[in-house]
Amino acid sequence: MTAVQEAKRSAHGDVAAAPRSQTTAFDVLRVPLLGRFLRWRHSRLTLQIPLLLVSLVMVVHAFWGPQLAPKNLAALLTWVHFRGMVVIVILLAGNLFCMACPFMLPRELVRRYFSPRWQWPRVLRNKWPAIGLFVIVLFAYELFDLWSDPWWTGVVIVTYFAVAMAVDGLFQRASFCKYVCPVGQFNFLGSTMSPLEVAIRDKQTCTQCHTKDCIRGTPAMVAQPEESAASEQLPVVQRGCELALFQPRKVGNLDCTFCLDCVYACPHDNVGVLARLPAERLAASGTRSGIGKVERRLDLTVLATVFTFGALLNAFAMVSPVYALEQWIAGLTGLRVEWPILGGLFAAALVLEPAVLLGAAAAATRAGSGSRASLLSIVNRFARSLVPMGFGVWLAHYGFHFFTGCLTVVPVAQHAALQSFGYPLLGAPLWHLGGLPESMVFPMEIGFMSLGLLGSWMVAWAVACEWSPGRRWWGFLPWASVHALLFVSAFWIMRQPMDMRGTFLGG
Amino acid sequence: MAWPDLSVMIMVCTAGCSSTSADTSDVQVELALKPPKPVVGTADVSLQLADAGGAAVRGADVRLEGNMNHAGMKPSFSELQETQPGTYTGTLEFTMAGDWFILVSATTPDGRRIERKIDVPQVKSP
Repeated sequence: MTAVQEAKRSAHGDVAAAPRSQTTAFDVLRVPLLGRFLRWRHSRLTLQIPLLLVSLVMVVHAFWGPQLAPKNLAALLTWVHFRGMVVIVILLAGNLFCMACPFMLPRELVRRYFSPRWQWPRVLRNKWPAIGLFVIVLFAYELFDLWSDPWWTGVVIVTYFAVAMAVDGLFQRASFCKYVCPVGQFNFLGSTMSPLEVAIRDKQTCTQCHTKDCIRGTPAMVAQPEESAASEQLPVVQRGCELALFQPRKVGNLDCTFCLDCVYACPHDNVGVLARLPAERLAASGTRSGIGKVERRLDLTVLATVFTFGALLNAFAMVSPVYALEQWIAGLTGLRVEWPILGGLFAAALVLEPAVLLGAAAAATRAGSGSRASLLSIVNRFARSLVPMGFGVWLAHYGFHFFTGCLTVVPVAQHAALQSFGYPLLGAPLWHLGGLPESMVFPMEIGFMSLGLLGSWMVAWAVACEWSPGRRWWGFLPWASVHALLFVSAFWIMRQPMDMRGTFLGG
Repeated sequence: MAWPDLSVMIMVCTAGCSSTSADTSDVQVELALKPPKPVVGTADVSLQLADAGGAAVRGADVRLEGNMNHAGMKPSFSELQETQPGTYTGTLEFTMAGDWFILVSATTPDGRRIERKIDVPQVKSP
């Protein structure tokens, strides 16, 4: 089934049967000024242009600026500010980075002159490509010490632009965002913890709608909204959701880039940016438009697992014990190159450890509830409960770097201007600017992870109640134990002195 | 040198150092830290400047800038004082464990500028 067919099938689905809980009445699009700005069709472009310009400055500085990470805008903005702000904005609002994604602007430019003809290959219409890339990026980050290498950081940025353009230049719809982009998958999972969601305001309005412009797009020359049902051959002047999310059946923020195309396309002004409880939609079961049933998708299970255990691995790689462990393995095996040792650590952290923990939790759940379900089906059902804990760890880690170093962008930008123009265009570098002291950031880290633990327990409890209402504790406790174990591990990691070392074996 | 026997030369001569600017001087730079394997906190620094013939470079204005190799960390600055001919001493603060590098910036009385990047790996927690 093509993405278009999938979208049409969703569009013709039974809207009234879509499981949706009551959303709160707060709608960002109704907020004065901000709502008006977001409802403006060019608001996304307005947000993308500054980020594109910043990206260009970063690329220039990566290749022609000082090759010292603390003095280079590419390294600083990528590994400190971008990562930190992404998780904080996701926590406080929603997936606004995807909304303002600069990688999409060149893609839009290409599509003005070249219309992609191909559908994304059916065999890749899942999260496996993005999972692979996500792991590769994590691995390369550790192996090549990307955080300390401006030039390679620039290569990563340029490659990202090139791949986004190539994929979306060749394949229709938002194939790159939905199936390829590892940052996007990170944002999709993270934004399940966001307080905002693009959603419909009134079910009844959608039930009576025949045009489904929110997913099909708005054809040209439509005098009356209802005429567009018979206007499928006309060119689309306002596209609908390119990620195949049919608004009335959309549940949560998974796969939503906050592009607001559905807002602009809806002829009934029935799509808003609504407030809801963070992680509320994670617990929902049943079919989701553009996604299917989360509890039956192994790729989403693996994505959530890599997201969560990768958070611990990424933080662990920044503290002293990992180097002691690497040296111990090197002494044991005689290896003097890092990649096989690092590969072993990745395999242990992203494959072995999850397999043991999740398998044991599933076995305990099955035994306790007296179910005959397969272990894999139980893991698939409960894996989403890992996401809040994982997001809490990402938030703690990236938040640490951001809060301790957020003001360093000022002297680095001043230094860059000084070097570029030969005089202090932005003033003399204020190198004394840093950020919050570690002692203040540590309680915030613990707070973020505690919220994550609480969220994971809430989701696990909701899933357990649905899984086995009569023996919900048997469903809940094994998974709550896994979450608690992850929390303790993360707490231990965060207590370790940061040891941001790029050298292996002291070399 | 005041305490060469108490320290280990963590970086000897400039051959293995990368310059951060167009520094074409042939001045040799040797830097020693005390403790030799630095820990988080303040370390004593001893820097020797010598010309190609091994003669001490005297009267230079020497400044140090310590940075971690990860972006987002506030640098540490220090000015060294000449305590013996060609030997400059002072302190530098290492604020966090991990890999550091020190940027040495010196100006000799005859106007020559010397800039070196010296790696200081594996600063440990106390």
